[in-house]
Order: sequence, then structure tokens, then C-alpha cells
Amino acid sequence: MNAVDITQATKAFGKTVAVRDLDLEIPAGSIFGLIGPNGSGKTTTMRMILNILYPDSGVIRVFETERTGPRLADVGYLPEERGLYRKMKVRDLLMFFSELRTGKPNPLDVDGWLETFAMTGHSKATIESLSKGMSQKVQFIASVVSRPRLVVMDEPFSGLDPVNFEIMRTAILDLRREGTTIILSTHDMALAESLCERLCMIHLGVKVLDGTPEAIRTAHGSEMVLLECAEGTVPWEAFPEVKDVHERASSYELTLNSGADPQQLLAALIQRVRVHRFEVSRPSLHDIFVRIVRREGKEAAHA
Amino acid sequence: MRRIRTLIKREYIAAVKTKGFVIGLLLAPVIFGGSGIAMAIFAGHVDTTDKKIAIIDHSGAVVQALLDAAEQRNAEQVYDKETGDKISPAYVLLRIEPDPHDPELQRLALSDQVRDGTLHAFIEIGPSVLHPDRDSAGARVSYHSKNPAADETRRWIANPLNEQLRWERLQEAGIEQTEVPDLFDWVSVDGLSLVSRDEASGEVQEAKRKDEIEAFIVPLITAGFMILLMMMSAAPMLGAVMEEKTQRVAELVLGLATPFEFMMGKVIGALAVSLTGGIFYLVAAVLMLSTLGAFGYFPLHVIPWFFAFLILGIVFFSAMYAALGSVCNDAKDAQQLTFPAMLPFLLPMFLLVPILRAPLAPLATVMSLIPPFTPLVMLLRMTSPEGIPAWQPWAGLALLAISSILSVWLSGRIFRMGILSVGKLPKFRQLVKWAVRG
Repeated sequence: MNAVDITQATKAFGKTVAVRDLDLEIPAGSIFGLIGPNGSGKTTTMRMILNILYPDSGVIRVFETERTGPRLADVGYLPEERGLYRKMKVRDLLMFFSELRTGKPNPLDVDGWLETFAMTGHSKATIESLSKGMSQKVQFIASVVSRPRLVVMDEPFSGLDPVNFEIMRTAILDLRREGTTIILSTHDMALAESLCERLCMIHLGVKVLDGTPEAIRTAHGSEMVLLECAEGTVPWEAFPEVKDVHERASSYELTLNSGADPQQLLAALIQRVRVHRFEVSRPSLHDIFVRIVRREGKEAAHA
Repeated sequence: MRRIRTLIKREYIAAVKTKGFVIGLLLAPVIFGGSGIAMAIFAGHVDTTDKKIAIIDHSGAVVQALLDAAEQRNAEQVYDKETGDKISPAYVLLRIEPDPHDPELQRLALSDQVRDGTLHAFIEIGPSVLHPDRDSAGARVSYHSKNPAADETRRWIANPLNEQLRWERLQEAGIEQTEVPDLFDWVSVDGLSLVSRDEASGEVQEAKRKDEIEAFIVPLITAGFMILLMMMSAAPMLGAVMEEKTQRVAELVLGLATPFEFMMGKVIGALAVSLTGGIFYLVAAVLMLSTLGAFGYFPLHVIPWFFAFLILGIVFFSAMYAALGSVCNDAKDAQQLTFPAMLPFLLPMFLLVPILRAPLAPLATVMSLIPPFTPLVMLLRMTSPEGIPAWQPWAGLALLAISSILSVWLSGRIFRMGILSVGKLPKFRQLVKWAVRG
């Protein structure tokens, strides 16, 4: 079963199309990564899943139900730009959010989460007296308290120190283990790769990647070579295996054409230059991300 | 509905459970009625320093009468008969002979005495004061002091002066004072309500005495409380919503509640806060008036109307202010919108006195039927002793109820778009578009 099914969703603000003809399936019980550069349409997509915004056309189903209007009790949301009622006490605030979600406060769950995040001692502190990391943890708890089945998190790790980062990462994995579906938006590609079972990249309002990290890397994974060689100009046009060259301080990052044999390239290179280092690698998600953004950017500039 | 209930609870507790609310509740009427209280306090602090006043009477006809009147006043009104305390200044009048050679110099010398405090004032009575119709310039009476416009003595002296002049004129006509001693006795005109028949007993009821307290003070205090309760709950809505939006609380709440639920939580929360204040003031007023034995002044018949207008007025204004707050992106935006938003709320306050003086005039009637003005103006008219046609409060209430529903509906549409909007403050045309198209 899918937690979210999006079919041909389009949303425009005036003349700007934020999301265009988006099709997306988010399997229930998975951690799903939504990636893309700033202003690509991620937040609009998340707001549409949450019913905060309605699509101009297309259908969005959450747990197989098409909803417009009322909020779903089993959906939690952690927006990117977040704040809390500064004068409220931590526990009162979490009780308020748990009551807002399910209709009645859930003290057991609130206290459980406070304990998980080692915040029991701060339950009577006002929000304004908390450090940034602490209030970020409270915001996280507010989005997951009373155990929603689907949690949408926009950059949940931004600004966290390594200790709190690890606590939150563990909490997200625990939620997934319990069956919660998590939609995660992040700019941290390494994190997305390590945490998400499926990924979708949106760029300029259009889906450009969708699948498991492994499948994406395979599909977009022209092999890459890190080359260090003696100084001098390399006549790249003489090497048909090379698709793209990215010059670094003292090395080159080569993208090979699909099907090209790195061994043949090495043999050809040795004929012309003195090779110090030749390292074959598959592109990371970060590389694919940057490559797509650059390519789309160039196409947009030419259009 | 349960989400609205949760939001109302939070709004209410956040507002009421603060020291500011309790202090505000107690202090607001004091600050609000500050000028009235100050006047009452200072009314008891009269300057009792004796007032020395020089009189130059060119006619020679009235000076003695003024001296006698001052002496009589000093004997009767300067000291409290029971306590013996001095409660008023004595008027010490001095007869000064006119200087026929240099009247200007005489005026300058007396003015200098007023300046250095030897005299309080000096009066110059013209030679033809008895017959102004024959020589109006010569009939002038001038009162010279540091602040003649607000001088209590100037007001007092006009009475004995004119009375003496009238007797002098009658004497010239051959009528002696002893023949008609009560010729100039003053009778006052009492303000009374209309006579009515008691429906139960069938007896004709005597008309009630209507005084200034009933005519002005009671309506003004009632209207004052209406303004106070609206200021307490509806007026801060614009800033509060803007703050929740800019502090990024709104989006977190919007993940769990629709914009309409969010807005209604705030509107009804504000309503609950003002009703708490209203009930507090109602109980306090009943207790205070009962203790003072002045419960008769309590406008019992308008209390249900007061709360009906209060509830609808707060819903109308709170929803409107919440919508305007939702389109603001910083404090500057909120500042820019506050004055125009407050205008329909403030306008009737400038017209309180004209409305009270003529509650049945077209201005008052029309204003009381314009929904944003209805709570204040209709209430003011209803509490005035004159009374208003029975259909008007009902018409006002119906129009206000329709407008409040419309305000909630349109504001909800603006709020939904505004709360997530960023960038520049939308223009009025854009707000109308949001309100109409949603």
C-alpha cells in the first residue's frame, strides 16, 4: 500500500508554476527523500500532501483517500521555517499539539518522547528559555507526538550538532521501524542516500529523479574517473571515452560515456601523459544532483 | 470542531493566565476613566485663597450692591457650616474711585497689582451701564485678571451685577423692591420622564426625575466598557496573527488545523477573553452600585443587548483583524494597516456627545444601523433616557449578525491565502480578489 499517491498534480502561484504534472508514489512504512535545489517545488509538494495547499489540477491521495479541506489526524508536519509559542511551557505545548492532532492530550506519549530526547528535566521550562537545539527537538516531538502514520519533515536536521543529529536520526529510524511513513526533504545528499529507501528529485517544478538510491545511481551512473597526471595540456578530444571533464586544483574529474571501458582509457592516457593516479568510481547522489541541476540550468538558459 | 475547541482553549489560557490580563482588567477602567477621576479628585481641591478684587464704578450705581453681595456670599459660602472648614475663597471687593484725569494710567497701575499678586482682578464698570441701549460703549463692564476666561469670580459677579441693574431700572420706572420682592427669583426646570400606566396594576405611575447621571454618565460608562472589552480582545488580533506568522508558529499549526479552524480558534478565543472581562465588570458594577445605594442607575434592560452586540462586534472585528494580520510579513506592515483597520472602530468614539445629545437624529439613527458602528452607537442610544424605537436594536442586531458571518467568511478566505504568503504587503485589490475568489 502507498501512503501517498500523487497523480498529475500541478500547482501555480500567479504565472509561476511551482509543481508541474507530478506523479509520485510513496510506499507506506518507508523513509522517502524529497530532494531538489531551493525553489524547486519541494515545499509546495509537501504542502499539497498535507492539504495546506490544494493542487490546481491532479489528484493527491493520502492512505488511499483523496482529501481536501480537513486536516488528517494521522499526519505530522515539521516545516522548514519553524517556530513555537515562546511563552508556553514545553510539556504544555506538546500536550496542545497532541490534543490538536487527535482530539485529546496524550500525556503518556508526550512524556515518552521527552524521555527519549532527555528533556524530562525541561518539561516545565518555557520555550523562550531553551537553546536552539533544544527547541528544535521540541519541534520534532510536536510533529510526531500521538504517533501519526505519516510524518512530513522539511530539513529536520538543519542546524543540529552531531549529538542531537544522531538522536534525531535514531528517532526517525525507530519511527520507521514502528511502521510510520516518513517524507524527508533535505539538501544533504549523503544523508538522503544513507537514510532514504526511495528518493525523488524535483527541479524547476518537475520530477527529474525517482527510485531507490541504488537504482538512481545505476540509471544515471556513468562511471567517473579521478585522474592525476603530470602537468601539461591533455587533448581530451582524442579520448572518445570521456564525456565531460571537470578540472580540480591538481586533478581532473572525468565522466565517461555510457559503456566506455576505463581500462581502455587508462591505456590510451598512458600513451600520451604520465599518470600519477587513476581512480574509477561511481557517481554519488551529490554528483548526480549537481549534474542534473547544471544541465537543467544550461538548458533553461538556452531556451 | 474539536480542533477549534483545542485552539480556543490555548488562546484563552494564553491570554487570561497572565499577570498582564489581571492587571489590565483592574487598571483599564482607571486609565480609561482617568480624566473623569482626575476631575473628580481635583474638584475637591479648590483654591481657597481669598480673592481681592478692585472695582471702579463709573456709574456709581452698582458698586455698593456688589460689596453687599460679596459680604453675604462670604458669610454663607466660605466656611462649611458643620465642620467649620474653609471650602471656598472669600471675595474681598475694594471700591476704587475713578481717576478722571488719566484712566489709562489707573488701569496700568491696577494691572501691575494683579501681576504682582496684590490683587486677584479689577473690574471697570462703564458710566452708562444702566442703559446700554443709549450708549453701548459706555455701558461696558470689563474684568481684568491673569486668566479671565476660566475665572470663577468673573462668572459669580455677573449675577449680583445684573440683578442690581434690573432693580435700578425698575426703581426709575417707579416700582419699589418691596412691592415685588420675588420678581427675580429663579426657578429651575426639572427633567422628568413621561408618565405611564403600570400594566399589572393599571395605576398611573409618576414620572421619574431624569438627571445628568442618567442622561450622560450611564450611557458613556456603558459605551466605555464596550470599547474597553473590544480593545482588550479584538484590537490586538492583527498584531498577534502577524507575530504567529513571522515567528513561524502558524505553519506548524496549519499542519494540524485548516486556516479556517486556526482563525476561528483565535476569534472565539478572543471572544471568550472579552466575555470574561465583561462578566467581571458586570459583577463589579452590580456590587459597587448596590454598595453605594445607586443600583437604580444600573441600565438593567440593556445588559442582554450589551452582550449580544459585544459578541457580534468582537466576531466581526476579530475576524477582520485576523485576516489583515495574516497578510502582514513584519511589524512595519502591521503598523501600516493598524490605523485604517481601527478607523471603523474609532469613528463613533468621536461622535459620542452629538449622538447622546440627539439620539433620535438621523445621524445617530443611520450610524447605529451601519454594522461596524452598531455595537457602540446603538448601545449609546439605547442607554440614553430618551429611548429609541423598539425595532431599531433588532434591526441593528440582525444587520450586525449578517455582517459578522460575512466578515468571518471573507476573512477566512483572505486568511487562507495570507498566512502562507511572503514578500510584499498585498494591495487592497489583491485582498478583494482573495476574499471574492478564495
